[in-house]
Amino acid sequence: MSRLLDIRDLCIGFDAYGQHRRVLHNVDLHVNEGERVSLIGQSGSGKTVTMRTIIGTLPMPPGKVEQGSIHYNGQSLLDLNKQDRNRLKGTGISIVLQDPMLSFNPVLTIGRQMDDVIRYGDVRLGISRARAERRAHMIETLKKVQLTDGARVLDSYPMMLSGGMRQRVLIGMALLNKPRLLIADEPGTALDVTTQDEILALLNRLVAEEGLSLLLITHNLGVVREMADRVYVMERGHIVETGTRDEIFDAPKHAYTRQLMAAVPPLYGAGVKTTRHEGTHPIINVNAVTKTFETRSGWLNRVTGTFRAVSNVSLTVQQGDIFGIAGESGSGKTTLAKIIMGLTKPSMGAVQIDGQLLDGFAGTQDFRKLIQIVYQNPGSSLNPRRTVGDQLAVPLKFTGFDKTATKRRISELLDLVELPQNYAAMYPHELSGGQKQRVAIARALSVNPKILVLDEPTSALDVLVQSTVIDLLHDLRREFDLTYVFISHDLSLMRNFCNRVAVMLRGEVVETGPVAEIFDTPQHPYTRALLSAIPVISPEEDARKPKVSKEERAAVLATSTELEDT
Amino acid sequence: MSVMDDPAAPAHGLSARQMALYRFRRNPLAVIGALIVISVILAAIFAPWIAPSPESAGSFVDFRNRHSPPNWQNLMGTDNVGRDVFSRVIFGYRVSLGLVVGVLGVAVPFGIVLGLCAGYFGGWTETIIMRFTDIMLALPPLAMALAITAVLSPNLINAMIAITLLWWTWHTRLIYRIVKGQMNEDYVEAARVAGASHMHILFRELLPNCFSAVAVKISLDAGFVILFGASLSFLGLGVQPPTPDLGTMVATGSEYLPEMWWQAVMPGLAILYAILGFNLLGDGLRDMLDVEL
Repeated sequence: MSRLLDIRDLCIGFDAYGQHRRVLHNVDLHVNEGERVSLIGQSGSGKTVTMRTIIGTLPMPPGKVEQGSIHYNGQSLLDLNKQDRNRLKGTGISIVLQDPMLSFNPVLTIGRQMDDVIRYGDVRLGISRARAERRAHMIETLKKVQLTDGARVLDSYPMMLSGGMRQRVLIGMALLNKPRLLIADEPGTALDVTTQDEILALLNRLVAEEGLSLLLITHNLGVVREMADRVYVMERGHIVETGTRDEIFDAPKHAYTRQLMAAVPPLYGAGVKTTRHEGTHPIINVNAVTKTFETRSGWLNRVTGTFRAVSNVSLTVQQGDIFGIAGESGSGKTTLAKIIMGLTKPSMGAVQIDGQLLDGFAGTQDFRKLIQIVYQNPGSSLNPRRTVGDQLAVPLKFTGFDKTATKRRISELLDLVELPQNYAAMYPHELSGGQKQRVAIARALSVNPKILVLDEPTSALDVLVQSTVIDLLHDLRREFDLTYVFISHDLSLMRNFCNRVAVMLRGEVVETGPVAEIFDTPQHPYTRALLSAIPVISPEEDARKPKVSKEERAAVLATSTELEDT
Repeated sequence: MSVMDDPAAPAHGLSARQMALYRFRRNPLAVIGALIVISVILAAIFAPWIAPSPESAGSFVDFRNRHSPPNWQNLMGTDNVGRDVFSRVIFGYRVSLGLVVGVLGVAVPFGIVLGLCAGYFGGWTETIIMRFTDIMLALPPLAMALAITAVLSPNLINAMIAITLLWWTWHTRLIYRIVKGQMNEDYVEAARVAGASHMHILFRELLPNCFSAVAVKISLDAGFVILFGASLSFLGLGVQPPTPDLGTMVATGSEYLPEMWWQAVMPGLAILYAILGFNLLGDGLRDMLDVEL
């Protein structure tokens, strides 16, 4: 088999602040004709630098190729002049980027943006086509990505399409000029798991039908298992292991690969840890809560419609529970969390925390000593301009701690979350993501609350870091007898962490119960569709996932192929 | 895995201050700007010791030496009553910088507080503050200053008041925009959940996030305040003789153009020098602190 892309002994370094640092170390990687190759690694491992070097968008300087070569189809890419290299963009090598929103210009129609891609591609190839011909080609290409209503899609603006449709259009765009190698950088990461499932299936089909080669860059092992013939594992700029998919998944050799595998929470099978807990008295009572938002538009900001973010939700969380609220984006899970925290007032219904109604209770000192929240992104929930110590002191200051008591408590808190004492003087940007989230957890715990609301506390973290944070949460719960409300879209993680879950779909709780019950015998078709869409890392898990037919899926989920009628 | 070797931990082991200083030093124009600003400030502070002829700052007269062109004795020549222009320029910086400190010392804190409140509280507070700011911004600044100094009698203090009354608006708008953006960050809500008071959130959480933008804005402002003050003086509405002021010097010197050019051009160049310094410094700070204005 001929090598379409061949990277040999590639070393890349960066000059930053007067220092030189090597970020890629002797990378060897190749993609054969018609092959699907995955490059997997955690953030900061060098996957994106590799990708950008291949397509020639790595800024140089500060980047510098120190040694090695990249050959595409026998041509040495690093020796090509700029013009020849540009000629390959889209026509030889094409790319699908991670964020389907950021990849579009919001003020131009999809058609205009696709047309540009064709025209510039044509210029490079030295041909020219009439407008109608180009439009026909676009509609044809959109059909390939299963967007049958091509004409309407072309006349839409990016904001009018759903995330899944935008990702489809992006893939279509990458295919417009008939490339031979498609590079996909985290193609499903920004999407819901059910949509990601559709997109991955689509990519797989296109590779087979169009005879493409695929280089997939991702951090998700489950995705790799569904998408790759061959796998490269990258750690800190080194390729630490490579092999066929089965070799890597069945018998990982390198310690790092094994570590990665072990950190992925299993969905089914022997490795699943079930958190058991039978609560005796309820601590949170959500009673028929509904939250409607008004949509306003047009003249004088009149109310033009209402939108139900949370619809008639009733839940009971027992003391000591790890209660999971699962759902995809827009399911209302974060709104529900804000209602429980007393940050948003429900339009109807009532919430009781520890026997007390929220009205008049939320925001008081007693309330703060009862329930606290950890946000999804510690980069945003910690003030970038205040030291860790200052931020830990805030809740203490407003619950009447004096200076010496505050100091003592801060040092206790740092110990609790296993951070060194000198971190109190550091600013958030000096900390890694996992360390920041530890600080956020410490802050939430500072006044000894009984309940923590955890709003996707690990979704911004790498899987290895995630497992350490989850371990920490387990320890803290045991030590302080905490109750958690755990909001997440990651069902595999919930299976192993929570003891009860509620599944939300468009503002409603469709299913709730003990975690083993929900996962082993899901009743609601949406739960089944959700579970079946999760990319897993072993054939055993695949076999035990619920099987969902297309019709069943369509009954509960909008597909990403249809435009909504407006 | 231990907490310490998290792979995403920041690399190159430099503190934020070191990185910022590095970026600043790599920008030659910024360094030149900083040197100019320092030289102007030092000249203003030590004027009586630096100026070759300190008595020229007052109502000193030396008719034998009037209108002498630049020479080694008088580096920038002498004016219509024989005073050393170079010495007067150095003392002129005192007045200019005094104006900058006076105006920005009042306008900046005032503008910041209004901007913080408008952005944080929203609603009616926001509407009232921001619409009032818009109205103030709609007034042509020079005409407004002319009106105020004309009514209050022209002198340095009144010129300062006039400029201050107009200057805070820019800071209000700047801070308002920054705070509006910061309100989307979770740390504001997190502080509220932690029980923090409004005062705490405004001045301890939000204000530190405005500092870099304010620093850049102040630096750029300083040049404009000098220019504005000089314009008022040029029109005879600012500093009154014999106090040496760059604007007044340009005005009186312009009567002797073009033959005795140095009397107007030298103070003009001195204004240019100071403003250039502040602007280069401001641009450098902007790159260093990575803020958008």
